[in-house]
This record gives sequence, structure tokens and C-alpha cells, in this order.
Amino acid sequence: MSLNDRLRGVFVDALQLDDSVDVENLKYRDIEEWDSVGHMALVAAIEDEFDVQFETEQVIDMSSFKVAVDMLKGFGAGE
Amino acid sequence: MTLLHAQARLRDAATGDLLGGAELAGRVSEVAKELADLPSGVLFLRVGLDLTSVLRYLGAFEAGRAVALLDPAQDREVLDGLVSRFRPAAVLGIDDEPAPGYSQDWVREDADGVEQHPDLAVMLPTSGSTGNPKFVRLSRSAILANADAIAEVLGIDSDEVAPTSLPLHYSYGMSVLNSHLRKGATVLLEGSGVVARPFWDAVTKYEVTSLAGVPYHYEMLRRLRFDPAKYPSLRTLTQAGGKLRTELVSEFNDKMRAVGGQMFVMYGQTEAAPRMATVPSDRLTEKLGSAGPALPGGTFSIRDEDGNEITEPGVAGEVVYRGPNVMMGYAESEAELALGDETGGVLVTGDLGYLDSDGFLYITGRLKRIGKVFGNRVNLDDLEQIVKGYGAAAAVPAGDKVVVFLDRADKDTCKQAAKTLSETLHMHVTGFDVRPAEGFPQLPSGKIDYRSLEAQV
Repeated sequence: MSLNDRLRGVFVDALQLDDSVDVENLKYRDIEEWDSVGHMALVAAIEDEFDVQFETEQVIDMSSFKVAVDMLKGFGAGE
Repeated sequence: MTLLHAQARLRDAATGDLLGGAELAGRVSEVAKELADLPSGVLFLRVGLDLTSVLRYLGAFEAGRAVALLDPAQDREVLDGLVSRFRPAAVLGIDDEPAPGYSQDWVREDADGVEQHPDLAVMLPTSGSTGNPKFVRLSRSAILANADAIAEVLGIDSDEVAPTSLPLHYSYGMSVLNSHLRKGATVLLEGSGVVARPFWDAVTKYEVTSLAGVPYHYEMLRRLRFDPAKYPSLRTLTQAGGKLRTELVSEFNDKMRAVGGQMFVMYGQTEAAPRMATVPSDRLTEKLGSAGPALPGGTFSIRDEDGNEITEPGVAGEVVYRGPNVMMGYAESEAELALGDETGGVLVTGDLGYLDSDGFLYITGRLKRIGKVFGNRVNLDDLEQIVKGYGAAAAVPAGDKVVVFLDRADKDTCKQAAKTLSETLHMHVTGFDVRPAEGFPQLPSGKIDYRSLEAQV
């Protein structure tokens, strides 16, 4: 499974998204589910799935699906 | 008497604009004039963390018009229900298709409405109640008395800069706004929240001095490894909205003290506008786990099951608060807008607790089956009703969340039930931990043994 697919799965599970949501273009606070509470659940779920630990700066900079993909690539995840 | 001190300022983080002095007062009076011309009845304000919303709130307050503060993300269906029950003069902050009987700009077409009681200033939704939300009626004098008492115990003066870390339709968020404006301080309007970069950039740029949070904020700050040394202006933390784990109270207190700052733990209810108690920061270590003594002007008493006052320290019973900030009463429909004070300044909190010999309150539990979801009160029996379509349910509190055991449910059903709870109550889905169960433990009476369920979470 590609990094994008795995991450999409984590978003859908952690934020309990409907199929209609365009996950790959999602940004923080675009939808109700991704508010501050959802953000922390999401960060924890991504850390679990990819076995990584984000720094404080990364947690607060993770403002979109795409940014999350780039951060994970930085960890060498999904290669 | 006004909420707005001559020095009070609003900083809009979105634009960087600072509004204060005569200019701010002028903008507020302009709004007040517009609102004064609306038909009689309460104003519904869908209040966001933005300048327009805050000017409307202040305008209504200055115009002496009752204003009900609503979640801007509230479902249309819930709003329509409230509109038909309360027949508001207007709904502000909405651009949806208007409800029947309302003009294109959401002003009620029928000029006749119930005249509000002259003391009534703000109505806040009581959190958690299902299907049939009601409002707490707060008088002008209760709002002002609470703002003053809060400012006194926290030492708020005109040098303070407080960001809007909490929604304004939430009583704690409203009180941060009120207590700062009342003392000529600056309120920074910032809507992205403590987990986002723009919030922390604004904290640095506008030299924020304090931060208000409910327990889940502190859980987040811990996860973010919050370090006050990185924010030299930020020297006060306040916490309310439910009991924060004592380890976290100590941890944040230590962090703040290490940089010469302070941490305040507080207790309140929307019904008290909302603050009732605050632990003085220099006694936090000594009184760990306490909600603090009553605010200036208020008193606590503890009563037993028969309603008799317990005078002995350390003996638990129901917490009763008396003070100038207690609500006038509740409102479930338009007719109650006209009612005067029904409480006489006495609030029977529904919380269980005791006072120590220094008059510090310790909360030990709730009389009714109540849980908290991210600081918002929810009735656990209501939760069970909401999900009964999925099977028999048993809900128990679990810190900042609620665990709902669902009899003989599979994983998908549990997920669906959590989603239903989230949508019905308009709270984040992660606040509802729905788990499958094989029957429930029972008491000899045949009732569900909630204590043993609580022990499982």
C-alpha cells in the first residue's frame, strides 16, 4: 500500500470521515471533524501507524494531509 | 455599568488590527443602535472568534438586549428547533436560507414578541442536554459581578493580553472575554486553537500573557511538550471546565513557577456565570485537588440528603453556592424571557464535595449521572437513550471522555453509535469511546452496576 493510501486510512479512521470527504486535499479546520481535538487524535494515530514520534513543531505545523505526507517522507516512512 | 473599560482593546489576529478607546466604544454603540431597532425578543448570536461576533455581543450588552450565544457550527436542525421555541427577534451571524417567519436577513417578521425582563443580559446553552437544549438566564449584574470577582482573584489589569482559546458560547470562554474587557485589558481574537501554528505565532507576536484551558487543552499542551520559557510574555495559566488530573496540575504548576509564572485551578458552572471558586496560585501545591475557596462575594455550603447544612469540615454532601453571579433561572421557551430572578442567588450545584477547615472546596462526584466531554457536561442517561437503537447501552464517565458499553455490538456498530452521539450532541467523536460488551454487571436490585463498569475503564 502506498504512503498516501495508508495515511488516508489513518485520517478516515481517526477522524471517522465519510467516504465523500476528499481526504488528500484536506486542511486543518476545513471540516468539523478535524478540529483541535481531532488533531490530537489524528497525530497519535499517525504516530502509531507509522511508528514515528513527531516533534512539537511538527504537531503544530501539520496543517494539511499533504504536509503530513511530506513529514512522513522526511521520516523515511512508507519507502 | 458597562463591560467595556475605557482602556479595553480587541486585537484581531486575522488582520493584526487593534481596536480600543473611543474607536472601540464608537463601534460598539453603532451596533447597539442597530440592535435596539429590532423587534422585541431575545437576539440569537452565532458567535465565532472574530471581531464582528464580539462587537455584536458587546453591542447587545450595551443596548440592554438579551443575547443568546450559540455555537456557529450548530446544526441547522437544532437551530430551527430553538428558533421556533424562542422566536428570537433576529438571528445574527448566519447566512443560510432564513427560517419561516424570518426575513432574508434573519429578522423576525412578526413585530410582536415577548418583552424580555429588563435584568436579562445573556443566555447560554446548557451543555450536554439532548434534543431539548435550554438556556441559562444570566442578568447584567451577575455577568458584571462575576467578571469583577474573576479579575480580582486572577489579578487581571490593563497590561494583560488574553487570547480566545475557548469558544465564546462556552461560559468559560465568555468569562475570559468579560473579565479582561472589564479591566481594560486586551483580548486577542484568534480562532485556530492551541494545536495550530497561527495560534502560537500570535502568542509571541502580540505578547500574550495568559492562557485559559479545559482539561483536554492541558492534555494537548503536555503532548506538545509546552515550554513556557519559549513564550516570555505568557506567565499565567488558568484551568476550569472539569477536574484536571492532579499530576498535570502539579506538572504545569511547576513549569510555570520555574519561569516566575503562575497557574490557577478554578471551578464553576454556566449557571454561575460561570466562576464560583479559584485556588490562589501560591496555595496550589498545598491544596492540590481542591477547587479553591469561593470567589469574593460568594459562599459555599454543603448539605446532606435531607437538605440540612453540614458544618463539620471534611464531610461530603451536595455543594450549594450563594453569590451575586448565580443565574436568574433557566429558559425553555420564549415565555421565560419575561421572568425575573427565580433563584435568589442560590445555586444547588448537583456536585458532591466537602469543605476543608480553610473553606477550600473539594469536589468528589456528581449527584446525577453526569459526564464531561471535553469540558462540556453530558447527562449519561441521555447518552444511553440516544444510542438505544444500536442496543442496550451503559454510559460511564472517563476523565474528559465518556465510555459507552454497547451490549452485543460489533466494532462497526460501536463506530456508528459514536458517530450518532457526536452528531446529536455536536461534540467531537473521539469524546465517545463506544465499546462492545457482553451484558452488564448488575446490582442486587437488578440495576446496572455502574461502579464496576467505571472500574473497567
